[in-house]
Amino acid sequence: MTPAANPKSIPPPVVQVRDMDFCYGTSKALFDINLKVEYHRVTALIGPSGCGKSTLLRCINRMNDRVPSARVTKGEVLVKGKNVHDTDVDLTQLRKQVGMVFQKSNPFPKSIYENVAYGLRIHGEKNKNVLDEAVERSLTHAALWEELKDRLNANALALSGGQQQRLCIARAIATVPDVLLMDEPCSALDPISTLKIEELMHQLAHEFTVIIVTHNMQQAVRVSDYTAFLHLGKLVEFAPTEELFTNPREKLTEAYLRGTFS
Amino acid sequence: MNSVPTNDNPFAGDNSGIQQRETAARWALRVGSYIVVLTTVAIMLHIFVKGAPVVFRSQWPFVNTQFLTELPATLHVIEDQQGNHIETDVNGADAVKMKLGDNFRSEKTISYSGGGILGPIVGTALLVVVSVSVALFLGVACAIYLSEYAKHGKFLEMVRLAILNLAGVPSVVFGLFGLGAFVLTAPRFVAVPAERSVFAIPLGFTTLSFEGWDTCVLSGGFTLAFVILPVIITASEQCLQAVPQGFRETSMALGATRWQTIRYSVLPFATPGILTSSILGIARAAGETAPIMFTAALAFKDKLPWQKDMLPLPADASIFKHWEQSVSRFLGIFTESVQALPYHIYTLAAKIPQNEYAERAQHGSVFVFLVLVASLAASSVLLRKRLRAKYRW
Repeated sequence: MTPAANPKSIPPPVVQVRDMDFCYGTSKALFDINLKVEYHRVTALIGPSGCGKSTLLRCINRMNDRVPSARVTKGEVLVKGKNVHDTDVDLTQLRKQVGMVFQKSNPFPKSIYENVAYGLRIHGEKNKNVLDEAVERSLTHAALWEELKDRLNANALALSGGQQQRLCIARAIATVPDVLLMDEPCSALDPISTLKIEELMHQLAHEFTVIIVTHNMQQAVRVSDYTAFLHLGKLVEFAPTEELFTNPREKLTEAYLRGTFS
Repeated sequence: MNSVPTNDNPFAGDNSGIQQRETAARWALRVGSYIVVLTTVAIMLHIFVKGAPVVFRSQWPFVNTQFLTELPATLHVIEDQQGNHIETDVNGADAVKMKLGDNFRSEKTISYSGGGILGPIVGTALLVVVSVSVALFLGVACAIYLSEYAKHGKFLEMVRLAILNLAGVPSVVFGLFGLGAFVLTAPRFVAVPAERSVFAIPLGFTTLSFEGWDTCVLSGGFTLAFVILPVIITASEQCLQAVPQGFRETSMALGATRWQTIRYSVLPFATPGILTSSILGIARAAGETAPIMFTAALAFKDKLPWQKDMLPLPADASIFKHWEQSVSRFLGIFTESVQALPYHIYTLAAKIPQNEYAERAQHGSVFVFLVLVASLAASSVLLRKRLRAKYRW
């Protein structure tokens, strides 16, 4: 499915949002969103606070289901070509294949090993070898294995903030999702930890499709291949990152990038 | 413009009554607190001074073993011509009288004040075990449902309010409820329904008859469970709410179902608090008198719940039959009525003529009771400390 494997045909987008409206109760949060995310690309969602970037992100793995009276009122969200709101979609399977990392690092107060193995365990994996292997693979991907391999049984809360967030990434990729959603993963971290996670994202793009919400435009430039700019619930512009930042088509995008408003 | 500094104190207070009122308020609050503290200390001291001599001995084994290991009995006090008092039980009375012969002057009997209080201790323990098991199961289930599943809204608020109000219902009302619900109408399996059965559902091999469980540990335990249920529900819900929402979100985002999320990333972190509150529930259940008066407790019983007249094992007893009888004997414990500490204290204090011997038994019982409750409270504090250190986030 990778573009490299079959360069001639255009692979289908892994995530596609079509004409989507989204409401919290009676207030509309997203208007007519159209978005295509391709395999193995990093897509950044940027925009001022309250513009609906997180809401859009949470539509993809249906985390908005947890919010009472929040719902998609028009259009559809397709992941791997399947409408996620179809009645025959099993939420647990959807979320297994669309992982998520949250703004606040929130490891369970369990051992590092148990944190990473959590996703596999709830999906019924009992084989110790499989679990061991998955833990090592995920921690390696998250650039934590070398640091932590000798203390896998230590409590995850003993880790530093940056390590905790990378552990959360390891936990999210342990189930080998196709898409990894990241909701401002660096906003609570210091610059060095942020840098580490940004480096990590380039690595992760080899294996996963990453969609990241960020309020930091420089971060979007550094990590993403595509950028979507949202404003007041509307998708203003969606383009390759370089293009959007150097030569925006929309006046609104330009104004935002220049810092005229935020 | 800057004012010229003077030698006057710029922060001098005005001489209105503010300062005096401040002092008066502080002293009023302080005196109130002192009254509370002093009263508590006085109660504790009184119980300790009067109760400890009954329970403790100055010689090995330092504890009045008779008081802790014997069932309550009638105390016989025989006085001789010299005014000496000899205490004995009903079996020893005649021998003492015989020995005294002409020296005998008078004999007094004081109900329930002889022997020990093993019966009430055992009864209270059984009641607590049953009530806490039932209340924990129902309470935690209810708390999980209210906190994790139920839709937020007016109805949920009303349910919460109702539960809180349940905590304010007088305990004697629970006693009457238990009498009506568990003693007289709860369902049980019987071969032939009793005459008073509310209604009976024949099931072929047996009959489910709503004829109640009689006064027994089970009835009393269930009644007590409903007394402590509001406390356990409220506390458990708070403990569940205290688990960060992020744990639930993360777990869900990893593809866990709602129950998996609760089971693996909410309950383990709420358990310490739930256990702590349930231990306080134990103290409450152990102390209630009114709910068990009509449902489980007897003023006096000369047997422990497992000392029952049972058919002797048949001669050809196979292991299986023996096992069956052991189980029925064990279950039989819970269908016996028992003595309980708070009710025993009530009996000693209000149902028999007061004299020094009755008072001694009262204080001993109260002391033992207080030590039990205090140690439960202490263990709850310890447990909370330990578990908190383990599950901190």
